[in-house]
Amino acid sequence: MDKVVESEEQAIPSIEKAHETPEGWEPNILAFACHYCAFAAADLAGVMRLSYSPNVKIIRLPCTGKLDQIYVLRAFEKGIDGVFVAG
Amino acid sequence: MSNNISSNKKGSVVIVGGGIGGMQAALDLANSQFKVHLIQRETSIGGTMVMLDKTFPTGDCSMCMISPKMVEVGRHLNIDLHLRAEVVSVEGQPGDFKIKVKHAPRYVDPDKCTGCGDCEAKCPKRLPNEFEQGLSKRKCIYSLFAQAVPNTRAISAEHCLFLTRGTCKKCEKACKAGAINFEDKEKEIEINAGAVILSPGLDRYDAKVRGELGLGRWKNVVTSLQFERILSASGPYTGVVTRPSDEKHPKKVAWIQCVGSRDPHNANPWCSSVCCMYATKQSIIAKEHDKNIEPTIFYMEMRSFGKDFDKYVERAKNDYGVRYLRSMVSAVKEDPATGDLIMRYADEAGKLIDETFDMVVLSVGLEPHKDAAEFAKTFDIETDPHLFAKTSPLSPVKTSRDGIYVTGTYQGPKDIPDTVMQGSAVAGEAMALLAEARGTETVPKELVPETNVENAKPRIGVFVCHCGTNIASNVNIDEVVAAVKDLPDIAYVTDTIYACAQDNQEIIKKTVKDKELNRVVIASCTPRTHEPLFQDTIRDAGLNKYLFDLSDIREQCSWCHPGQKEESTKKAIQIVKMSIAKSRLQEPIKSEHVGVTPACLIIGGGIAGMTAALSLAEQGFTVHLIEKEDELGGLVRKLNSTLEGNDVQEFLESTIAKVLANELITVHAGTEVVNTDGFVGNFKTTLSDTNVIEHGTIIISTGGVEYKPTEYLSSESNKVITQRELEKRLASGEQFNPASKFVMIQCVGSREEPNQYCSRICCQDAVKNAIAIKEKNPASQVIILYRDIRTYGLRETYYQKARDMGVMFIRYDVDNKPAVSEEGDGIKVAAWDYMLNKELILHADLLVLSTGLRPHPSTESIGKMYKVTRNMDGYFLEAHVKLRPVDFPTEGIFVCGLAHAPKNLDETITQSLAAGGRAGVILSHERLMVSGIIAKHKKELCMSCLGCFRVCPFDSPYIGEDGKVAHNEVKCMGCGICAALCPAKAFQVNNFRDDQILAMIDAVTDCESGVVGD
Repeated sequence: MDKVVESEEQAIPSIEKAHETPEGWEPNILAFACHYCAFAAADLAGVMRLSYSPNVKIIRLPCTGKLDQIYVLRAFEKGIDGVFVAG
Repeated sequence: MSNNISSNKKGSVVIVGGGIGGMQAALDLANSQFKVHLIQRETSIGGTMVMLDKTFPTGDCSMCMISPKMVEVGRHLNIDLHLRAEVVSVEGQPGDFKIKVKHAPRYVDPDKCTGCGDCEAKCPKRLPNEFEQGLSKRKCIYSLFAQAVPNTRAISAEHCLFLTRGTCKKCEKACKAGAINFEDKEKEIEINAGAVILSPGLDRYDAKVRGELGLGRWKNVVTSLQFERILSASGPYTGVVTRPSDEKHPKKVAWIQCVGSRDPHNANPWCSSVCCMYATKQSIIAKEHDKNIEPTIFYMEMRSFGKDFDKYVERAKNDYGVRYLRSMVSAVKEDPATGDLIMRYADEAGKLIDETFDMVVLSVGLEPHKDAAEFAKTFDIETDPHLFAKTSPLSPVKTSRDGIYVTGTYQGPKDIPDTVMQGSAVAGEAMALLAEARGTETVPKELVPETNVENAKPRIGVFVCHCGTNIASNVNIDEVVAAVKDLPDIAYVTDTIYACAQDNQEIIKKTVKDKELNRVVIASCTPRTHEPLFQDTIRDAGLNKYLFDLSDIREQCSWCHPGQKEESTKKAIQIVKMSIAKSRLQEPIKSEHVGVTPACLIIGGGIAGMTAALSLAEQGFTVHLIEKEDELGGLVRKLNSTLEGNDVQEFLESTIAKVLANELITVHAGTEVVNTDGFVGNFKTTLSDTNVIEHGTIIISTGGVEYKPTEYLSSESNKVITQRELEKRLASGEQFNPASKFVMIQCVGSREEPNQYCSRICCQDAVKNAIAIKEKNPASQVIILYRDIRTYGLRETYYQKARDMGVMFIRYDVDNKPAVSEEGDGIKVAAWDYMLNKELILHADLLVLSTGLRPHPSTESIGKMYKVTRNMDGYFLEAHVKLRPVDFPTEGIFVCGLAHAPKNLDETITQSLAAGGRAGVILSHERLMVSGIIAKHKKELCMSCLGCFRVCPFDSPYIGEDGKVAHNEVKCMGCGICAALCPAKAFQVNNFRDDQILAMIDAVTDCESGVVGD
C-alpha cells in the first residue's frame, strides 16, 4: 500500500509548494451571501452576538446564482486568501 | 348576504391578531387599496409561527420565511399597527362598524425608540422569557424576540422597579433618544371600519394538568414548543440539543403524542391536526443537529393527511431511523440520580415495557385562548361548544355575525398553509363586501419630482451611525469618518447618533439639498430591514431611491466582534469603502409600469372555480369560467352531504344559479383552453371555440377524479361498492335490511406505492356513511378496517360519535391487508385483529371501499401549457408550501381545489376564496409597478445562445419575433442567474452589476477603486 502511494506521488509533476504559514497569520476572507438566506443568517449571528473573526467581509448578492467566476478570480488576484459562498 | 349592510361602506378593515393568518389578510387587503388596522395583544406581530424553528414537510426555516413578511407589514403605508392593544367593543353593521380599542401603556415612545437595545443592557430586572417558553430570562424592558416588528421596546409595568417602587430609571438614563416615558397611560380609541377579521390564534394545552407525564416536575420533560426553542439557532441553547437539567446532550429522546388532544374525558376532545407532523419534523431536525440522537414517537394514529406528509413520515422512518411506536404512555417517572426518565408502555403484543429515555417531549395540543368566551362576547359571535368560532363548512370563514370573518386556529386547529389560505380567503371576503369602497381610505404617496443626476459627477454623502452605543462602543466612529472623508467623490461625511430616528430623516433630506448630494451611503445596520426607510428618505429629497447604499456595520461588524475594537473599526472602514465604491457607480433606475386587464380566466367550473368566480365578481371584476363538460358542478355532483350534515346538492344548485345570474361572469361550457400568451396583468387566451379572451390573472381549478378501484373483487361482485355509491344509495332512501352487515376498507388505492399519499377525505366519508347507517338502523353492523383513522381537527368528534353508536374500528397493516372472497349472498373478509392477536372472519352484506382521489387527467396538459410544475403524484405544486399555498411561481396564476391536493369541501371553498382574493389583489391595480432590481438585457451583446432561457426560474427571457432572445422585465425577479451564466455578459442586474461588485472587491482589498472590468 505504501509503495503505491509513493509511486503516485512521484508521478505527479512538482507544483509550487504551499507557503509556510507565519505565526499569528490570519487569512483574509471574502464572503458572497444571498440576500434572502445567508446574508440574513449573518445578521442573525450579529443579533445573537455570536462572535467570529473580523477578517470576514460580506458582499451581498440577490442570489448566489448571481456569483460570477470573475468575482472569485478578482478576489484571489487582489490577495484575498479565501472566498466563501453561502446561499 | 344579509340586507342590513350599510350603504355608507368604509374602505378599511380591522384585523384582530397579528400572527401569520392576520398578516396574510393584512397584506392582501393593504396591497389592494384597503386601509388595515392590525390589533395585536403582544408587543410585536408574528404570533406562533415566529417561535417555530423549522416547518414541515420541507424543513424550511420558519423565521427566514416570516421575517420579510413582518418587515413588509411593519412598513406598509396602508397598515396601522396597534400593539399591546385589544378590542373592547364592536358596534354598527357590516360595511360600517365602530370598534373601540384599548391600548395598554408601553412606557416607550414608539416614535422616538430606534430599537437599539441600550436600555435593555442597563435594566437590572430579569424575568422568565415567555417567548423562549421560560427556558431563559429576559429583561423587564424588552422586545419580544430578536427580529420583533416593531422592535420598539416595552416595559413590563408589574415588574419594573421604578413603576412599582419608584427607584431605578436606568433605562431612561441609557436611552439617548429620550424614548422612555414613565407617564404613559392606557388609551382608548375608536376606529371606523367596514369589516372585522378575527385571527387571534391559539393557546396550547397546559400539560401540567396531566401530572403523570411530569411536566414541571421532571426537568427533562419539556413541551413541544419548548423543544422548538431548543432546536432554534436563535433559541436559549443556540440550536444545540441540550437537556435542561444538566445541559448534557440527550441520546434517547421520546415524543408523547396527543397530550391534551383526543381525550374527551380529561382534556380536549378534538385532534389538534399538527402534532403528528411537528413531532416528525422535530425528530428529524434533532437528528440533523446531533446524529447520536435516537428519536422515538409514541402515538395513537399517524395523522399525516396533508400534501406530501406521508412521504415525510416515510423519510423519517427510513432515512433518519425515527422509531414510531403505536402505544400510549401512562406515566413518566424520573430517576433522581441521573435525571433520566422511565416510561411504562404496552407494546403491540400487549406486553408492559419499562424503557429509559434521556429526554421527553410532550406533543401538546392546540386550544382556543383562555379568554375565548369573553372574546366571542366582545364581537357578539357564536362559538361551537369548544369555544372555537362557529362557521359552516359551506362558508368556512364567515362568523355568525355578518361582516365579521375568522381565519386560522380560532376557526379550528390547523397548520400554517391552511391558516395562510384562510388569511387570503377572509381578505377576499372583505374585498367582496367592501368592493365599492376600495381605495377610499388609502392615500397614495405624493412624490416630489426626481432631480436629474445623469452625467453629473458623483457627489456622495456618507452618514456613519453610532446606534446609541451599539456601534460606537465597538467601532471608533471618528476613525471611520476620517478614513473615508478624503476619498474621491465624497462630498460630505458626518456621524449621527441614530441614523433611523425620525428627526434624523429630516436632517438627511436637508443635507442632500444643502450639499447637492447625488448619492447617499449610510453606515448603520442591515439593509434587510432599514434600506426601504432610507430609500424613502432620499426619494423625499428628490433623489432616485436606487442612488443609495447601506453599509451593515452593526449586525455584521460591531455586534459580532466584541472586545476587538481596533479590528472592528478596520472592518467597518472596509465595509463603508465597499459601499462607496458601489455607490459611485450607481445610476438612477426607472421603475416601469404595465397596465392590467381587470378580468380573470378560471379553468374548471367545479365548486372551486365557481367559488373563486363569485368572489371576483362580487369584487367587481369580469370572470371567464371555462368548463370542459357541458354543465358546471364537477366532482361535487356526486356528493350528497358533508360530515357535518350540510345538504351539498342544494348548495351546488344555488351556487350554479348565482354564477349563471351574475352579469360579470361568462360561462364557457363545453370549452377548453387551447393556448395562453402573455404575463401578469396581460394574458391573452384562445379557447377551443376560437374565442379570444384578454385577462389579467388566471385561476387553475381543474379538480380531481375518484380512483376507480380494481382491488377487493370490486370489478367482480356487485356486493362490493365505493363510499360514494353507498352515500348515493343511503341518500336515495334505499331501505337496507335492518340487520345488514357493512364492512368498509380504508386506503384503497391510497398510501401505498405508486400512490404514496393520503386522500384526506376517505376517513370522513367512511365515518359519515357509518353514522348514517346507524342512524337509520341501529341494529346494522358497521365495521371499518383502517390503517390510521384521520378525522383530524374538529372532525374527531364524529369519529367519537361513530364509536359511541357502536361502529367497530379494526386496524389492519399495509403488509397484511384484509383477504376478501365471495360467500353465498355476501362477502367474506378475513382480517388480522391486532388487539386480540388473532384472525377475524367477517361476513358482509356489502363491502364498501374507501377509494381515494387522483388529479384530473387534464392536469398534465394544463401544467405543460402554463409551465407550472406538479408534484410526484401529479397535483400542481404551489409557489411555496407554507406561505404561498394558492400562488404559482409565475406571477398572476393561482391554484385552488383538488387540482392542488386532495382536500375536503370546506377546504376547497376556503382555498377558492383565497384564490379569488389573491387574484383580486392584482386586478385592483390599474397598473403594476415593476421592481427596479431586475436584470437588464443588452440585445446588441446577446448571441442568443439560450443559456438564460434555460436557467431562468421565472421564464422572463423569451424568443422574440426576430428569432433572438428578448427579455420580459415584468416577469424578472432580479436573481441574476442569467447574468452569471451569460457568456456575453448581455445581462446585468441593476445595482448588482459586475462593475459594481468588482469595484467592491477592489475596495475591500484596499486597491484604488474605479470603473473596472473593461
